Amino acid sequence: MDADIAIVGAGPAGLAAAVEAARWGGRVVVLDENERPGGQLFKQIHKFFGSEAHRAGTRGLRIGEELLAEARKLGVDVRLGTVVHGLFEGRVLGIISGGHTTTLRARRIILATGASENALAFPGWELPGVMGAGAAQTMMNLHRVLPGRRVLMVGAGNVGLIVSYQLLQAGAEVAAIVEALPAIGGYEVHAAKVRRAGVPILTGHTVLRAEGAEQVERAVVAAIDAHWKPLPGSERTLEVDTICLAVGLSPLAELAWMAGCRFAYERTLGGWVPMHNEHMETSVPGLYVAGDLAGVEEASAAMEEGRLAGLAAAASLGLMPQAEAKAALAEVQERLEALRAGPFGEPRAAAKARLAGQAVQPAQPHRESGTGFPACPPTGGEDRPESQPHIVIECTQEIPCNPCETACPAGAITVGEPITNLPRLDPARCTGCGKCIAACPGQAIFRVEPAFAPGRAAVSFPYEFLPLPRRGERWTAVGRAGQPLGEAEVLRVAMPAAYDHTAVVTVAVPPELAAEVRSVTRRAASQSSDKR
Amino acid sequence: MRIREHPILGPAPERRPITILVDGVPVPALEGEPIAAALLAAGYRIFRRTTRHGRPRGYFCGLGRCTDCVMIVDGRPNTRTCVTPAADGMVVETQVGVGRWGKGTDHRGDAEGTEGSP
Repeated sequence: MDADIAIVGAGPAGLAAAVEAARWGGRVVVLDENERPGGQLFKQIHKFFGSEAHRAGTRGLRIGEELLAEARKLGVDVRLGTVVHGLFEGRVLGIISGGHTTTLRARRIILATGASENALAFPGWELPGVMGAGAAQTMMNLHRVLPGRRVLMVGAGNVGLIVSYQLLQAGAEVAAIVEALPAIGGYEVHAAKVRRAGVPILTGHTVLRAEGAEQVERAVVAAIDAHWKPLPGSERTLEVDTICLAVGLSPLAELAWMAGCRFAYERTLGGWVPMHNEHMETSVPGLYVAGDLAGVEEASAAMEEGRLAGLAAAASLGLMPQAEAKAALAEVQERLEALRAGPFGEPRAAAKARLAGQAVQPAQPHRESGTGFPACPPTGGEDRPESQPHIVIECTQEIPCNPCETACPAGAITVGEPITNLPRLDPARCTGCGKCIAACPGQAIFRVEPAFAPGRAAVSFPYEFLPLPRRGERWTAVGRAGQPLGEAEVLRVAMPAAYDHTAVVTVAVPPELAAEVRSVTRRAASQSSDKR
Repeated sequence: MRIREHPILGPAPERRPITILVDGVPVPALEGEPIAAALLAAGYRIFRRTTRHGRPRGYFCGLGRCTDCVMIVDGRPNTRTCVTPAADGMVVETQVGVGRWGKGTDHRGDAEGTEGSP
């Protein structure tokens, strides 16, 4: 036997599995076809949601660095540039490495091969300049190359929203985001970030075609009716050189198919998924799955599933005491459940239960976000005297996230259990220090000081673009939809190391705009130095 | 276009500048970056052409799965440029159809022979 446990894929799930298994003395080998470990984790430069236990509020790439360091410390054998091309009888992996083929036998195998982006066919989709949103993200965040200058994003799920924001951070323009569904599928806080940066989100719209002789030169978009048919006369031509597709992910399940795993179709998890029990073991004994292959979710869930698979595999080999294994597995499962709570997570939790063959009640009618009930309005601060500085929390959906709670030194913000609760602000305790502003991964917290000076209010907001505003400069204040509202004088730019590159910018604006201003832009900035 | 400054990632990490040959033209690259990154940074978007109609194809999935970005690299056709690291002096050629083995094959003759594409 070449290894106790062989893991295919060195992404968040695979590395987390390796760490758990190696902790108990298992000989663990991780195989990955890429030249770098970490899967897609190192291109996730935004602050993650989740709870303290999930390193919430930490950027994905830093979580990746920690995970990798831990795996190396435990002596995990990570083999990069190594393609696993097959899974054969007797748990033998077929491998191609350095241009040669070989095999590796292991007592347990964990597949953590991830997912790939779905494509979308439309006239011109094959032109250079049309690419996956994740492909664009890889190019700009890993390789530091801008894949295009002016981009149309197709799809307003979390991937489309996050990559749009990151395209802006990298210096590209995003002409628009089109979403065929009547509502935004991703988190409202992600949508809010791109909106106030001036990007229109067109729901009920699709891309009709890409135009250009040798590469993308334009995109034509149109509104669609309830039957997904373009509405005549609604066509609009956008001058773009790049079209990014963010229309979902599908599990990379070839090896699991090859091994003869039983599969089930779960739309919320990305399509055909290998069935697995609550400890991630498939219908093939000794073969485990974890991460996006086991159902497309986000990196935090992938890591927890990896931990489950690693623990379960180690326990099944007798590497760890049964009682300890049981307790450890239960603890991870509890954290996973927290990640799958709330209106976004519940359909996934139900799908996972079905995959494990558990009897579940028929799925409750679940509202697509943005339809049905209206979103909860922003909370906080209203009952303070108007002149007092106060915090406004514009977090209106039940997503699993609580860094604001721990960031507050005064204990004024409560999320509690489950972590999908909306944060509650206790105005009596809030000192208005603003530490929560940079901590919120959704960038949904603001500080408003209505009577900062005679005739002037101050607004503080998070800011993650270059160039950073500087004290004394005059920028254009913008509202929640990125609309210009007037002139803003920059009062302060705070970016201590603890904020990890999120600046908290404070600007002075006319008092009547204090409730509207949520960011600034250089677009159409007035040349107003004469007024100073 | 290279992203030199970034609000989260800071300045681009230092990497050794190298030169690759793209259809005979020297193109600056950084050692170890994917060939596709060097090409996009230098403004190249067409990586290969289809057999019958000579239609252009380029970077699409960035994961080494879709094979839209394959080129002839050091004489090896169907090399996935999005996952193949660039090395100094590497010979990279636009691929037509399934390509041919060997450096400096007359790929440009092939391309010109298809529907007058450049």
